[in-house]
Amino acid sequence: MTITDLPISSLINKLRNKEITAREVIENYAKNIYEKEENIKAFISLDIEKALKRAEELDKMDEKKGLLFGVPVAIKDNMNVKNCETTAGSKILKRYISPYNATVVKKLKEENAIIIGKTNMDEFAMGSSNENSSFFPTHNPVNYDYVPGGSSGGSAAAVKGEEALAALGSDTGGSVREPAAFCGIVGLKPTYGLVSRYGLIAFSSSLDQIGPLTKNVKDSAIMLNAIAGFDPHDETSVNIKKEDYTELLGKEIKGKKIGIIKEVMEFNIQEEIKEELNKTISTLVKLGATIMEISIAHLKYALPAYYIVAPSEASSNLSRFDGVRYGLTLQGENLTSTYELTRTEGFGEEVKRRILIGTFALSAGYYDAYYLKASKVRKMLANEFEKAFETVDTLLLPTTATTAFKLGEKKSPLEMYMSDIFTIPVNLAGLPAISVPHGSDKNGLPIGIQLIGSWFKEKELLQIAYAVEPG
Amino acid sequence: MIDIDKIEKLAALKLKEKEKKAILNDLEEIIHYFEILKEVDTEDVEPQIYTKEACLFLRKDKAENGLNKEDLEKNKTLASGNFYRVKHIIGE
Repeated sequence: MTITDLPISSLINKLRNKEITAREVIENYAKNIYEKEENIKAFISLDIEKALKRAEELDKMDEKKGLLFGVPVAIKDNMNVKNCETTAGSKILKRYISPYNATVVKKLKEENAIIIGKTNMDEFAMGSSNENSSFFPTHNPVNYDYVPGGSSGGSAAAVKGEEALAALGSDTGGSVREPAAFCGIVGLKPTYGLVSRYGLIAFSSSLDQIGPLTKNVKDSAIMLNAIAGFDPHDETSVNIKKEDYTELLGKEIKGKKIGIIKEVMEFNIQEEIKEELNKTISTLVKLGATIMEISIAHLKYALPAYYIVAPSEASSNLSRFDGVRYGLTLQGENLTSTYELTRTEGFGEEVKRRILIGTFALSAGYYDAYYLKASKVRKMLANEFEKAFETVDTLLLPTTATTAFKLGEKKSPLEMYMSDIFTIPVNLAGLPAISVPHGSDKNGLPIGIQLIGSWFKEKELLQIAYAVEPG
Repeated sequence: MIDIDKIEKLAALKLKEKEKKAILNDLEEIIHYFEILKEVDTEDVEPQIYTKEACLFLRKDKAENGLNKEDLEKNKTLASGNFYRVKHIIGE
């Protein structure tokens, strides 16, 4: 077993016992980066020198403190890391240097994680394949002809390719879970409000949530321990008691009630994914859990509601990119034309499409028919989930209806939007959910199984995820 | 149905004719797809803007250390001294 095979807790043990040094850890990951990055293209920016320097500082410490002592972590490029470029995958932010650390980055640093680089993403997190990055597409480490998923595709590929031990992503409609499923790793979207979004470049403020991408469920719980917590700088942050998310891992799940959503089965799901779902159900039954059928009657309306709410919020959030204070500037004859020239040149096609959808949905005469209607449907969905969690502890469904697709395969925007059909309802309701790798299809492409928990029940969600995690 | 010129202006974008045509086609397809929501009876349902547990709070009106001017200046585009220099907007 090499250093890069080790999960977080084993790596930290070896570091604490002085069996290995933090410098060796970074050197091993750097070796993988030099060998694989040309094919994977997971990173927008890398700073191995800085990581090595930090590792040497850690090696000099007498007390090897911190939940993530010496752990090489990759950060999605829509989170601010002080004095580093943060582009959100957009050329409108090329050469933007973060003047501060996002709260999650600050927390990782406090736990002595080592930041190794910033990962590629669909521009402003708008996409499901990483093909919407302004710079280059990332390739799936399992098979380079396939997409890694999106929008946190760079983060997922970095972990799968063992270029980083863990990574942060952001999940607005599935952007942590879908790439985790496509790459065969674990992706967690925490409850809205559990992890601070301060320093995350906003896409859709009522849906965005930061979450970890890791090799396994235990690592996911350790990462959540490091990044969760109240932050007065994020006004949607929820002030709840700090928990240890590893506490219930390995505890028996006998008597737990698991819900299968009836309406999910009405969608066209790849046969091999259904088989893995059935295998998961068998595992749960063997462990003493009870399986129940649950109805979320408005599930099919989640996708259209999301594609009204998210672009509407994005059209407002992205108005700050006007070429005046930071990023790209193209000077026009007057201020309005400076805005227009900068934004038209700086934003990519999908971003412009979503800004226009959102602007339309919020414009006079259409607000009630679209944004207000979608917000009401959202409420109905949240109510249905709330009712479901009165009966069951966790819901079980596929993360995606298909495994990863080939680069360049999906053409129409609407077709691409459908990739998020099983992940979007979670964001609309603000719930926590996790994608766990479970087998692969006939082409060797990974399959992801999704578990949804009730609000702030991450500990229980991780307990069940740990129980169904293969091997 | 979609006045693309109006929407484009509201969004502070200026698309090329070819791009505009392609995006308009996509927009019409996407917005047509939204029509499915009309099937849902939302009478008497309160809209949900933020999610269940999120309750917005206000911070105490207390000065905190802000960002360093030097750090911010690394990104100056239209900055000039302590100001941003833009084309005049009054009397346009």
